[in-house]
Amino acid sequence: MITERRRNTELGLVVLGATITAAIYTLASLGTTADLPGDIGPFLGVVLALLVGAHLATRRLAPAGDGVLLPLAGLLNGLGYVWIARLDENLAALQATWTAVGVIAFVATLVVVRRTRDLERYRYTFMLVGVGLLLMPLLPIVGKTVNGARIWVGVGPVSFQPGEFAKIILAIFFASYLVEKRELLGMAAKRFGPLTLPELRHFGPVLLAWAASLVVMTAQRDLGSSLLFFALFVVMLWVATERASYLVVSGVLFAAGAFAAWSVFSHVQNRISLWFDPWVDVSGQGFQVVQATFALAWGGVAGTGPGLGSPDRIPLAETDFIFAAIGEELGLLGAAAVLITYILMIGTGLRIALRAQVPFNKLLAAGLTAILGIQSFIIIGGVIRLVPLTGITLPFVSYGGSSLIANYVLLALLIRISDDNAGIETPGRPVSLSSDGGP
Amino acid sequence: MNRQIRRLGVALLVLYGALFVQLNVIQVLRADAYNDNPNNTRAIVRDFNQPRGQILAADGTVLARSVPTEGGQFERRREYPEGELFGHVTGYFSFIAGADGVERTYNDALAGRADATSADDFGELLLGESQVGDVRLTIPTEVQRVARDSLGDRPGSVVALDPRTGAVLALWSFPSYDPTVISSVDIDAAQQARTELLANQANPMLARSFRETYFPGSTFKVVTASAGLSKGMVSVQSPVYPSSSAYVPPLTRNPINNFGGSVCGGTLFDILRVSCNTAFAQMGVDVGPEDLVAQAEDFGFNQVPPLDLPGVAPSPIGDAGSFEGNTPVLAMTAIGQNAIRATPLQMALVAAGVASGGKVVTPHVMDEIRDQEGQVVRRWEPSAWTRATSPEVATTVRDAMVEVVEQGTATRLAVPGVTTAGKTGTAQLGNGLSHAWIIGFAPAEAPRVAVAVIVEAQPGASEQTGGRVAAPIAQAVLGTALEATA
Repeated sequence: MITERRRNTELGLVVLGATITAAIYTLASLGTTADLPGDIGPFLGVVLALLVGAHLATRRLAPAGDGVLLPLAGLLNGLGYVWIARLDENLAALQATWTAVGVIAFVATLVVVRRTRDLERYRYTFMLVGVGLLLMPLLPIVGKTVNGARIWVGVGPVSFQPGEFAKIILAIFFASYLVEKRELLGMAAKRFGPLTLPELRHFGPVLLAWAASLVVMTAQRDLGSSLLFFALFVVMLWVATERASYLVVSGVLFAAGAFAAWSVFSHVQNRISLWFDPWVDVSGQGFQVVQATFALAWGGVAGTGPGLGSPDRIPLAETDFIFAAIGEELGLLGAAAVLITYILMIGTGLRIALRAQVPFNKLLAAGLTAILGIQSFIIIGGVIRLVPLTGITLPFVSYGGSSLIANYVLLALLIRISDDNAGIETPGRPVSLSSDGGP
Repeated sequence: MNRQIRRLGVALLVLYGALFVQLNVIQVLRADAYNDNPNNTRAIVRDFNQPRGQILAADGTVLARSVPTEGGQFERRREYPEGELFGHVTGYFSFIAGADGVERTYNDALAGRADATSADDFGELLLGESQVGDVRLTIPTEVQRVARDSLGDRPGSVVALDPRTGAVLALWSFPSYDPTVISSVDIDAAQQARTELLANQANPMLARSFRETYFPGSTFKVVTASAGLSKGMVSVQSPVYPSSSAYVPPLTRNPINNFGGSVCGGTLFDILRVSCNTAFAQMGVDVGPEDLVAQAEDFGFNQVPPLDLPGVAPSPIGDAGSFEGNTPVLAMTAIGQNAIRATPLQMALVAAGVASGGKVVTPHVMDEIRDQEGQVVRRWEPSAWTRATSPEVATTVRDAMVEVVEQGTATRLAVPGVTTAGKTGTAQLGNGLSHAWIIGFAPAEAPRVAVAVIVEAQPGASEQTGGRVAAPIAQAVLGTALEATA
């Protein structure tokens, strides 16, 4: 009964999301060419086919899974597509392909991962694969440097960003590792005032994650991913051990690492000084952020209207800076709608984590949600100059195959966990939301 | 773990709340500042692609209009059918150089963004309907043309305005430029044209009439006379300044001489008629720095005249303190040399101030703005700018200026059949060259036109230069303007 209702809700929301996307697509076409898009029929058909396809897969493969995540992701994906199509026709065709591949990956994940417990078993394989993927761009021959960051791997005609997949695989590894060690890592050894510090040797994993992040930052020059990995690990460690002391120590380590990076690397110094004042070099280093600011300001409250702004002036508007393009044409209202969509996804993800009975599931759901929430925050905050700019994609919205596919896999895992939860939520086994569900 | 997960949720919510606050800062609080940032070309690109209203002369002649382009980056281009005749007035509307002149001052109305011409209800705002406005100027083409033709190819300026309303009737400087080229949508051609104009030694883009200052020479004696009258120190009968060919101010041995070493003196009317340097130098010293500077400021000196064009230059006179113990400079300033400089516009305002009984009106080139249905959405409301003198003082100065035209240095200013008031000026440059000046107004009993003319760097250094060179130009403009405003 409940499952049926969830699926029908999902279907309704999916259709709504597709309709909104098609409407904005039409407006954007009217805005840029003063003409109805010739392909609106096929466009709506493809959008519906993809999302309804994904919906049918959940109906069959995860019938009790959460029904809100897929429509929200579909809406973001659709919004992103409209602006990519508006900025660059060629990229739009590719993005459509990546969306299809993403939906296939979504279905495949649901097919392959029937029970999350299966994932727990291969934890060290995941660790090796995760670290391998993370470091892969550093390999000679296959590794590539694009826009100053060495985060690409190219094999023949296919290029991808392994880091996008590494974040999910590492989240799985962290979850299984921490679930096993959480008692040990959580043991109190010493008290310092309000802080209860675990034994020193238990900080080993933190140091390891920290070192790995520093490698990503220095060798790959990828500040955004580096920050995301470290934050992901620290959050999961904190949730698992329930020890705030890990947050404090990690915070200190982060500050030390950030300061060291700032004093050693000119590109880090650049980012910081541009954060404080992008106006000193308006036509050079500060150009991108300044253009993004101009775009958002130009949009104002209601936006210029889709297709009626000039977001093509922002470098990388279709990837890292797509939020500014949307903010210009949909205004504060549209930008806030995007923020709310992420908040809804985060809320749904965390609710799945709260409801999970199996500790591994609980931790994994929290970790995956943290990835989504922190990554979106890092890039939006960078674009609107709330935090220093660190290039990273906006999940589901930015152009990029690796990012889109990885995020659909992440979505499938969250839905799988929620489906698992429902399987346990049988009568006679009441679910307590107020206390820890772990054994 | 649930407690941590909830806290994670709260923490993320706080972070997204911060994003929302920052978005409000950019998109609402500071949006206007970002939109006006000179590095932001969005506004000008938008304006380039939108319809734009016309600029019209008082008689309806089209001075600026937008015409569709044949393909290319922009949908419309701006053209100025009268070319250089109104170059300094209309200004340009250029992708590379921004906007100047009326194009800049009334950009919002021309682009349909003025409150009056757009969005008077929420529905229009949502529909984004824009209503561009046509700006009609106060300048009749005929008066402007006579100003141009009379000045010819001598560097200088002609400014004429209606002393009752402040409506500008002529605003011409030579050399001028055609704004069409630098407003071209061919970016390279526009850039090249602008570079050439800026490199031109004669500086044709400089609107000398309101952006360049000169020694006003003897035309400033009108201000000095007003100061003496206002202070009660000078009247029609007294003092009688001694006949002299040289005046030696206190604290110096260097005399101030009359033109050509001539001997002059007498009452106010006598000394203004022949433009007697020695007498006015002495009057300035007797009035003292505080009252002379105050009088000049009451006429608008040391301030930016509120003409509705961008970049109007103030006409500086040194502050009273700088003349303390420096009577030679004070004496020179009283006859329009040394520490005083004026724009032709400011000198026209001096004439207008005397003409309208001591009240200086706000000068303006905009007459009215109409929407596309022909409805007037804004009409200029005349207003006073400063009070220069009492009506009595103004009347006395006017009468003295009438004598200057009837029997003095400005006989060539006389408009046939009309009582004309005027004052010549010859600002010596010290190399045998002088700026030839004249200011005046007519009809003296009920003035409708005030005028100021300068012809730069003319050979000759006698007081006759202003009357010989500048007066005929002003006379032609006065005559035409009187007909145009009849």
